[in-house]
Amino acid sequence: MADKNARVLKNGYSLEKKEKRTGWIFLMPAVILIAIMSFYPMVRALILSFQTGVGKNMAWTGLSNYIRMFQDKLFIQSLMNTFLYLLIQVPLMLVLALILATMLNNKNLRCKGLFRTLIFLPCATSLVSYAIIFRSLFANDGFVNHVLEAMGLIGTPVAWLTTTWTARLVIIIALIWRWTGYNMVFYLAGLQNIDYSVYEAAAIDGASPWTTFWKITAPLLKPTILLTAIMSTNGTLQLFDESVNLTNGGPANTTLTMSHYIYNLSFQGSPNFGYASALAFVILILVAILAFVQMKVGDTRE
Amino acid sequence: MKKIAAVLMAGITAVSMCACGGASTASTTSSATASTAASAAASTAASTTASTAASTATGDGSDELTVWCWDPTFNIYAMQEAEKVYQKTDPNFKLNIVETPWADLQTALTTAGTSGDYSTLPDIFLCQDNAFQKNVKNYPDMFTDLTNSGVDFSQFGASKVAYSTVDGKNYGVPFDNGCVIGCYRTDVLQQAGYTIDDFTDITWSDFITKGKDVLAKTGQPLLSVQAGESDLIMIMLQSAGASLFDEKGSATIVDNDALKEVLSTYKELIDSGVMIQINSWDEYIATLTNAQVAGTINGCWILGSIQTAKDQSGKWDITNMPKLDKTSGATNYSNNGGSSWAVSTNSKNAELAEKFLAATFAGDTDFYATILPSSGAIATYTPAAKSDIYNEPQEFFGGDKIFSKIIGYTSKIPKNNTGVYYYEARDAVATALTNVLNGADEDSELKTAQSTVEFAMQGNGTSSS
Repeated sequence: MADKNARVLKNGYSLEKKEKRTGWIFLMPAVILIAIMSFYPMVRALILSFQTGVGKNMAWTGLSNYIRMFQDKLFIQSLMNTFLYLLIQVPLMLVLALILATMLNNKNLRCKGLFRTLIFLPCATSLVSYAIIFRSLFANDGFVNHVLEAMGLIGTPVAWLTTTWTARLVIIIALIWRWTGYNMVFYLAGLQNIDYSVYEAAAIDGASPWTTFWKITAPLLKPTILLTAIMSTNGTLQLFDESVNLTNGGPANTTLTMSHYIYNLSFQGSPNFGYASALAFVILILVAILAFVQMKVGDTRE
Repeated sequence: MKKIAAVLMAGITAVSMCACGGASTASTTSSATASTAASAAASTAASTTASTAASTATGDGSDELTVWCWDPTFNIYAMQEAEKVYQKTDPNFKLNIVETPWADLQTALTTAGTSGDYSTLPDIFLCQDNAFQKNVKNYPDMFTDLTNSGVDFSQFGASKVAYSTVDGKNYGVPFDNGCVIGCYRTDVLQQAGYTIDDFTDITWSDFITKGKDVLAKTGQPLLSVQAGESDLIMIMLQSAGASLFDEKGSATIVDNDALKEVLSTYKELIDSGVMIQINSWDEYIATLTNAQVAGTINGCWILGSIQTAKDQSGKWDITNMPKLDKTSGATNYSNNGGSSWAVSTNSKNAELAEKFLAATFAGDTDFYATILPSSGAIATYTPAAKSDIYNEPQEFFGGDKIFSKIIGYTSKIPKNNTGVYYYEARDAVATALTNVLNGADEDSELKTAQSTVEFAMQGNGTSSS
């Protein structure tokens, strides 16, 4: 590195500086686009969250939106619903994805490509389409009820979407079905980095598959698990399509998510964009806090 | 050669990246969570402007108007016929009709109104009557005042005109009729020993008694509703002239005796099995076309959907709805839905739009006669009701003259107050209803609903007068 600094080129720039400048030139288009498309709206939304009013009649009001949301029973309900999905669905899905990835990493398994494609395929579907299909599957006279009745497991049709806990269960099932494949692909990629000789050594030492999984695979996959955990948390906290298309907020707002509530505030009722922006920022803060916690717990880099 | 291939691939990738909407991936991988509200507004505006790029208000000088509305068999068909009518007076007249579902239209109105950029709006658009007060009060600069435009508003039903009247000014030309009817399968009723007259001018308690009888004898419920929707509640409430708001705009959800009776009637309907709940709009239509229920009580626009079941022709008939037993001012008539045409201030041809609407929807009885048979588009234009076609027997409904019946009902519909926070109030009451059906205490649920609506109202800095 010292050579690069010392060696000054003909036009007065050192090689290192020239490399830095080239790097910046490549980065500039993306940086400018992100600044205009993402950061500028974020700043404007923050400014908006300090105002209140209906439609266009906005007035400055300081932190009143943030204080008001704590008295908003609908918001608290949507917050609890979203966290419920987070706490139940994310761990279940990640563990399932991990198990599937480990199974599909087996060298001796035939048709691996086919299985991986089939499990990943749900992610390629449109969010709205799959939510509507799930809704008709779990209808009172839908496919699921027919099958359960035919198998003799239930006597009368289960009202899946009109009872609170079964509606939440349907959303969780839908989410697991859709996103397990996505996370599984990440884990598969991570597993490729684990040398096969490690497994051979473990087998020679007499480790069972269970022990191999917990003592070798999982610790070596920690960075990938951390990544998927943060991404899943981020995605689940912003859940919208399932809440709207599957249950429309569910029986009496019991499956309403925060993003869905923000949409209702902005476009269905009399719009109060200031309050909606404040709520959106609260989601940002929550995601940031959770991501921070997860990184502190999971990041093993020195 | 390799270089050219690489540049080509990069170019194609860049273009395809721009093309993908990104709405689905954005929801899971976007880190800009805080801009959800802003970017949701921006992306919906972008998508609606992209899809309607060629359909914003056309410039002056040409005789072309752009119209946004939904339903090809109903509103769009009516507009096309109106175009033909007006072309007799002005051969150069042209309409550019863009099919836009109501949800998208409302979003486009909100986005345009909030940003102050009305350039994305068309000349004429269809607006749900329930949403008129909200949209006009929030975005008064978006609607053209039609009071002195040559449209004769006295020729329309008073309760219908009231929806699009704000502060004494007219902002909409009334169109489709949302008059509530009770629509029943006469063959099923006959099986239980009843005729359609047994369901005319009755009370809800009478209805439930007869309904239980029909259920026992034929195994079919009389009604189906979407769980969590408040349509039937609002229908029943309006039939007694009651509302969720008073004239001043305050919420009247608690201490509302009419509402309490509505809720207990609703609960009895469900508990007795006379009314079943399903989950979505498609299932609701299916219960009618698949003969799972023997009737429905809804706005008369439901007739279009019922008539898609061709095998049931001749087996249906209509009458008015039951009235509340105890509430004073109870009637057998109500309204659900309906919409009116509004002219946006972005229109560079507002005069032409007003003339067009006045000459067709507000002036031409032959026009209404033309659109009636195939669309069932029933007018709120009173002179149109006198034309012969409204008195023709309808085969699907057993030869009954249903259209003249409906026009007769329309004039008896009680007015109600909608107001700016109508949708919030409806949702709050629907939530209360769902909880009451699951066993919660009625009074505390209504109190919760009232406080939810008052919370939404108080959050806005400016008052909603």
